[in-house]
Amino acid sequence: MIPAFICAMWLTLTTGVYLLLSRDILRCVIGLGLMGNAVNLLLLVSGRMPYLEPAVIPSGENMLKAAANPLPQALVLTAIVIGLALLCFSLVLVLAIAERSGEDDLSALRHTEPKATKPLRPPFLQEGK
Amino acid sequence: MVPVHQNVIFCCLGMSESICTQTIRRSLIAFPFVVFGLLFALLIGVQPELPLDFAATWVPALGVQLAWRIDGLTLLMLFMITGVGAAVFVYANGYMRAKPERLRLLAMLALFMVAMVICVCADDLIVLFLGWEATSILSFLLVGLEHENKNARQSAQQALLITGGGGLLLLAGFLLLAQQGGTFSLSALIRQAPELPRTPELRAAICLIILGAFTKSAQFPFHFWLPNAMAAPTPVSAYLHSATMVKLGVYLLARLDAGFDGSREWQLTLETIGSITAAWGMVLALKERDLKRILAWSTVATLGTLITFIGLSGQYAALAVAALLLTHALYKAPLFFVAGNIDKGVGTRIIDHLSGLGRVMPWTAAAALFAGISMAGLPFSFGYVSKELLALAKENAAELAFVPMANLIFSAIAVGVATVAAIRLFWTYPLKTGEANQVREGSFSLVAPPLLLAGGGMVFGIFPQLLQPLLNAAVLAMLPQERAAHFSLQPATSVDPSLLMAVFGLGTAFFFFWDFLHCIVDALVNPVLKRFGASSWYGRGLRAIPHIAASFTRRTQHGLLPRYLIVIVLFCTLVPAFFLWQARYFMQLPAFSLQGSEWFAWAAVLLIGVGASFAALVKERLTMVLASTLVGYGSALLFLFAGAPDVALTQFVVDTVFVIIVAAVLLILTKMSRAMVSDPGWRPGSLVIALGFSTVITLLLLVALAFPFTTDLSDWFGRESVPRAHGRNVVNVILVDFRAFDTLGEITVVLISFMAALAVLHKKSESIPAALAAEQGGFSSVPVYIVMAVAARYLYPLMIAVSLWMLIRGHNEPGGGFIGGLTATTASVLWAITRGASAAQIRMPLKAPLILAASGLLLAAFSGLPGWWAGQTFLSHQWFEFSLGQMVLPLSTTLLFDLGVYLCVWGALGGYALHLLARGSKQTSAPLEERIL
Repeated sequence: MIPAFICAMWLTLTTGVYLLLSRDILRCVIGLGLMGNAVNLLLLVSGRMPYLEPAVIPSGENMLKAAANPLPQALVLTAIVIGLALLCFSLVLVLAIAERSGEDDLSALRHTEPKATKPLRPPFLQEGK
Repeated sequence: MVPVHQNVIFCCLGMSESICTQTIRRSLIAFPFVVFGLLFALLIGVQPELPLDFAATWVPALGVQLAWRIDGLTLLMLFMITGVGAAVFVYANGYMRAKPERLRLLAMLALFMVAMVICVCADDLIVLFLGWEATSILSFLLVGLEHENKNARQSAQQALLITGGGGLLLLAGFLLLAQQGGTFSLSALIRQAPELPRTPELRAAICLIILGAFTKSAQFPFHFWLPNAMAAPTPVSAYLHSATMVKLGVYLLARLDAGFDGSREWQLTLETIGSITAAWGMVLALKERDLKRILAWSTVATLGTLITFIGLSGQYAALAVAALLLTHALYKAPLFFVAGNIDKGVGTRIIDHLSGLGRVMPWTAAAALFAGISMAGLPFSFGYVSKELLALAKENAAELAFVPMANLIFSAIAVGVATVAAIRLFWTYPLKTGEANQVREGSFSLVAPPLLLAGGGMVFGIFPQLLQPLLNAAVLAMLPQERAAHFSLQPATSVDPSLLMAVFGLGTAFFFFWDFLHCIVDALVNPVLKRFGASSWYGRGLRAIPHIAASFTRRTQHGLLPRYLIVIVLFCTLVPAFFLWQARYFMQLPAFSLQGSEWFAWAAVLLIGVGASFAALVKERLTMVLASTLVGYGSALLFLFAGAPDVALTQFVVDTVFVIIVAAVLLILTKMSRAMVSDPGWRPGSLVIALGFSTVITLLLLVALAFPFTTDLSDWFGRESVPRAHGRNVVNVILVDFRAFDTLGEITVVLISFMAALAVLHKKSESIPAALAAEQGGFSSVPVYIVMAVAARYLYPLMIAVSLWMLIRGHNEPGGGFIGGLTATTASVLWAITRGASAAQIRMPLKAPLILAASGLLLAAFSGLPGWWAGQTFLSHQWFEFSLGQMVLPLSTTLLFDLGVYLCVWGALGGYALHLLARGSKQTSAPLEERIL
């Protein structure tokens, strides 16, 4: 099971970073989501997966025996929910940026950078505000 | 501070200063006299055995001590600092009379004196450095005393940059030297210096220290700051820039000379640079017309001569250095005072406009004459003594041909400068009577200090044996190997008189042809200096700094997110890769076995692979989003196979909700009128970076997996879950009980992010826009998919019921608040798609997502209170049992907590979904409506 997880993590992470480096703002967000996905896989696999049974104690017993490691699962579960909140927040930001600037091309989103009239002078000196 | 400041203002307005201010000022002036007197009393009365050592611990962990050592050289410096200081303080008091800066000047001069004393008494490198830097900073403040004057500001900045930068070099040199010698103690380092191995570090240390000393003592090529520092008031120039501060570099090198004199490089460097400075400084004096600047250049040249003679070995050289140090202080300070008096009396320092001042300024003229005699080195002056010693040292030690040459030029022009200052200004071309009436002799405090100092030079010239003990001690400090020797100031072997005659003859020629030579030097040197001089390079460097900074900023802060991200990703790749490479022999990779029975997991990986490649390669954005969802579903399957049903369920629901929300956002983005991104599609460079990053992270993971693993914590959770928390689903028990406080924090984060998003979306309240609220029936502007709408009527209650069931059973079976909340969110999304976002909102409990989420959070927090009141920690859950007839129904605050999680997740994530869907339908309503109708 561990090799499959590692393969899945490698694939997801590669795609995530590849999309993150795009000029398209939406692809960036999706890339961010995929990277979060990869991290979740990584977290779960670092629990070593000794057994593949769910971490549920059968009724009649008092202890967990021969079951999956519950701790990384608890971490990953909250991470997924928080990840969704983070992605939704990024989408809200994407919308706000796109609505205000009419652009979703990151290479065009440079409104915070003042226009340079002289190439070798700091912009704050040129604005004269 | 406040009363002092007020009094300064009163002074400025011409009112009499208060008694308080007067006392402060008088005690400041008395300060150097007291120190001088104490020193004198100590030397004559106690006659201590030199050197005196005393130390106190300061930073023992670093080996830094407040160590002090007073030997002959220190004593000589101390007498100069306090003696000249006494004259300067009195002069400054008179010079700045009725000026508002007077008290400030005196206070800073006093501070400066303290810094100098620290510097020359310190036996610890760090203490010495602190005093050194303090003099640099005070020099900056004193040069810039008249800070309204732009020239003064620039000169102060230049002095600070050069001497301060030199100070940094010095610190680096000190640290290296201390590292090599194993101690910060200056005397110990000098003692062991000859035995130290000549490592590259030691060479670097010595180079850095020499550079630091050269900047302070204005040696070539850092010489230009000193004449520019003449923007300072005259007392400051007399004190800092002739008698004391600039001698610090000389002092340090003279001190170290005891240890490094044997080194050939040391000697050659000092002799070469010193000679260049001595000759070049004097030549540059010829190009000036301002008396103060002429004197400044001659100071530069004298410093060069001092450095040269430190480089020479032998007792005469050491004696010459000691004598010249003192002589120079005794004649240069009075000459500066003279320049100040002329400036004050006549209103100019330009020598073309000055002549015949002797009659109107007799006392100043007398001081100038005495100082000039000493500077020219005429017999019966102390200058003559040092000139003889210099000549002897040259004869005995000079090997390089240019050393005597440079010294000849220096001496000859020095005679010229002395005659200009002493004779030309006062005794030639008598002033016109009209002008003479306006010229005033300075007051007592302006003429007494120069007369005393210059007179001292004459007295010591006639009775040099008075200084014999002091100079003897100073030479002993510079030549520790000659313990018992005695150095006579009246050497038995007299100097060849023809050499002295040549110097005087040349000097007289310089005096007569001063103006002619000035024209020549001006014409020849100025154009060269403008283009190639050190000063012009300094200016160019200073101007280049903002340009370099700007271009650097332009290249690094370009505002392009992809490029910033590339830098971050590359950094995160290369640094771990470097360490992985470094540790490649110590690490091992885990051994895995591939089992055929796990083919379903590999099927999930295949699903992920397909989804990932499509997401990366497809140009169309909707397909890209759908493909990325496949990755999510694939991971969910993996979670399921790995025994994590809770995580798998969560991942399924989250992916489903997310894809719907992204689709809505995508609709908005595509409907926006302006040109949208044209992604270049295939980006091989990014792929390489991404592959590198993910491979390094995967390697790190593999390395981590090979380490032994303890399951103590997980085992503990598995053991204690039932007895302590009455739950069989350990994952849920961890979330709601053992780590409940974490979970509380996490739902708080979710809620806060939702609140922030609402603020970004510009909603005053969280309600969905009025235009949309109008179509509550769901038939006006929202697309209606009839089948779905009908289905939703039955699906919605069913899904809510499922979500509640998930919530309740979660403690013992897979499920829980998070999954329940997400399921409920899906129900809301379904309703929003079919009936509109506002309709979905009305269907939610409390009819408002934000309020719902907030009450969920409150509920979860509230569930922790009973345990708290019961005396346990916050969020320790309590269990109650109700018996209903035969059945025993266990109730607990755990359920309350999980319900809080459920409501918070539903409210916040459902709220996100509804708002984004509402945005989508607002943008797209019109065309879709047409389509449906």
